[in-house]
Amino acid sequence: MRALATVGPMLLRAGGPSGGRQHLRTTGLAVLAFAITTALALSTLGGLHAFQTRAATSSAFQDFYGDTYVQYAWIAVTLLMVPLISLGGAAARLGVSRRDARLATLRLLGATPREVVVLTVVETAWQGLVGAMIGVVGYIVLLPVWTLVPFQGGHLSLSELWVGPQVLLPPVVVPVLAAMSAGSTLRRVVVSPLGVAQRTTPAGLRVVRVIVMGIAVLGFFVAASMRGGEEATIVLVIVGMLAAVLGSLNLVGPWLIGRFGKALVQRAQTAPTLLAARRLVDDPKGAWRIVGGLALASFLAAILSIIPMLDRMERMDPHEQIFNQDLVTGGLLTLVITFVVAACSAGITQAAAVLDRRREYALQTLAGVPVELLDAVRRREALLPLVFVSGASAGLGLLMIVPFLGGLALAPSGLLLLGVCLGLGGLLVYAASEVSGPLLRTVLSETSVRPD
Amino acid sequence: MSPRILPSRPGPTSQPPAVGVRLAARGLVKRFGTTTALAGVDVDVADGEALAVTGPSGSGKSTLLHCLAGILPADEGAIRLRGQDVSRLNEAQRSLLRRKHYGFVFQFGQLLAELPAEENVALPAMLLGASRDDATRRAREWLGRLGLSGMEGRRPGELSGGQAQRVAVARALITGPSVVFADEPTGALDQATGHEVMQILTETTRAAGASLVLVTHDEDVAAWCPRRIEVRDGRIVSRGASR
Repeated sequence: MRALATVGPMLLRAGGPSGGRQHLRTTGLAVLAFAITTALALSTLGGLHAFQTRAATSSAFQDFYGDTYVQYAWIAVTLLMVPLISLGGAAARLGVSRRDARLATLRLLGATPREVVVLTVVETAWQGLVGAMIGVVGYIVLLPVWTLVPFQGGHLSLSELWVGPQVLLPPVVVPVLAAMSAGSTLRRVVVSPLGVAQRTTPAGLRVVRVIVMGIAVLGFFVAASMRGGEEATIVLVIVGMLAAVLGSLNLVGPWLIGRFGKALVQRAQTAPTLLAARRLVDDPKGAWRIVGGLALASFLAAILSIIPMLDRMERMDPHEQIFNQDLVTGGLLTLVITFVVAACSAGITQAAAVLDRRREYALQTLAGVPVELLDAVRRREALLPLVFVSGASAGLGLLMIVPFLGGLALAPSGLLLLGVCLGLGGLLVYAASEVSGPLLRTVLSETSVRPD
Repeated sequence: MSPRILPSRPGPTSQPPAVGVRLAARGLVKRFGTTTALAGVDVDVADGEALAVTGPSGSGKSTLLHCLAGILPADEGAIRLRGQDVSRLNEAQRSLLRRKHYGFVFQFGQLLAELPAEENVALPAMLLGASRDDATRRAREWLGRLGLSGMEGRRPGELSGGQAQRVAVARALITGPSVVFADEPTGALDQATGHEVMQILTETTRAAGASLVLVTHDEDVAAWCPRRIEVRDGRIVSRGASR
């Protein structure tokens, strides 16, 4: 184990003259993703903390609306935590595919499965710790920004948004979660080192994923139709089932992308589309990591498309006006954060994919494949599933609000808001993934490969 | 605007290549920082000829191949393909030159892991504008010619080393290149498989009317080419027939 501790990091960082630089880039991307996850998660919890603090005070407004604000804040936390956890998971897996070939080599050299896992997990946990600490600083820097958002007829204060001792949790929790995620990603290396070295036709994802999501959606509808219980319990069950549906999107998404990729392979007429489609079939989970955040955001956008109806509801008194306005503000804020997280996920994951494939790209360029084609493949690999999953997810979201709103769920003003959100969000994610274009050219100019 | 890849502007060479010479280099110099990898190399490759470039590691033989193939621009000297100077092309023009006029067989790695064999072979043809159906039909023909019928749907990871190199040969030849460049094409293969691949590479290249430039440090592999040059310290130290 001591020898491995010495040789392992050297092997992980190896990769020719530019290997160190590439390693730094991948590490930087992972740390950045952990930092964004931490900063936004703490900000979200800060919002919840602020409403809980206010609900504990006594006033006519708080006595009537205080608990409702807390319930809605919990819903926002639930909705935001899923994409944030996805971003954190993507960060943990960042670079693992680049490393796994070298880890497979370590296995072939005789390292035990435990040693291989420990080596990777320690490195990822370290990245998680650094990212979490930067994220805490980011949360503190963002605090004044959140105080500018109008709520309850005024603004939330710094002390209300400060989560207190909980700020110490991320440097402990994030490295642990990152290590768990990295460990599970490396399972295939441990099971079969040759399976990584020899790329073979991947087994298709099982349809059981769809069944799991079907059960979650059904559970949500059952929860939504519950009558006669305590309101807080019903809200808790509905929120729980909503989280289950959101979580199951992560199961069904890769399966759907795989099916979509197969259909594209059949129809592709140009080299970029064919290559992009083959990559979707080859690694649907990887493609999902790029667009999954947008899928969750689109789902959320569909649910929040009810906002225009809330804004137009008849107002009985000033308090109700404030409450409705805050619902709109909270909904839009949740949506904006979700799309920002989705864009971060897409940008970081695709940048990592470019770094992972640098040798392949360089060899193709030697053989005369133009950089523009590689760039076109990279773009289509993100854009094609992006359009597909955002549409499908928004459709699912609309389906889930129909039981509550009936025909109102399909009102033109709501659909217009949804269309605008999907358009702007899609553009944001597209712009984030375009960062990989210059990176591709930089990597090609720095990567010197010999065909032998 | 598509780049001109074969400009007629004369190069600095004073000694024009002989008639029947497909690829000619005169006075090639390539430096990497303070290291001179090529120190004034002259070489001719005739129509349909197979030329082996040998030499020890670090001798400059791969740099010579990279310069001849337009992968690297030479610092000095001229390269002519079918009499036209190709040594002053920009990067995009050199990329197009490689795509249209050259084929490549590397030791390993040029096949895309995600694509089955027939799509790997069809890809260069599609890049030159062939429809997918046409490119796939031609790819299947080439794979059949190279004894890979029935393996069209296998991905590189599901092929043996020899089979993968045969796919690489088909990929190099599908566009009808003028010159095929092979850099240690048998380096990752056992001796028997290596000979099998060399037989296929030399025979199919000749049958396709292409010239072959083969870089190798292995004398047995070089022997598959009728003519060879030996490179040491960036200079050609011997020319002649292979043993």
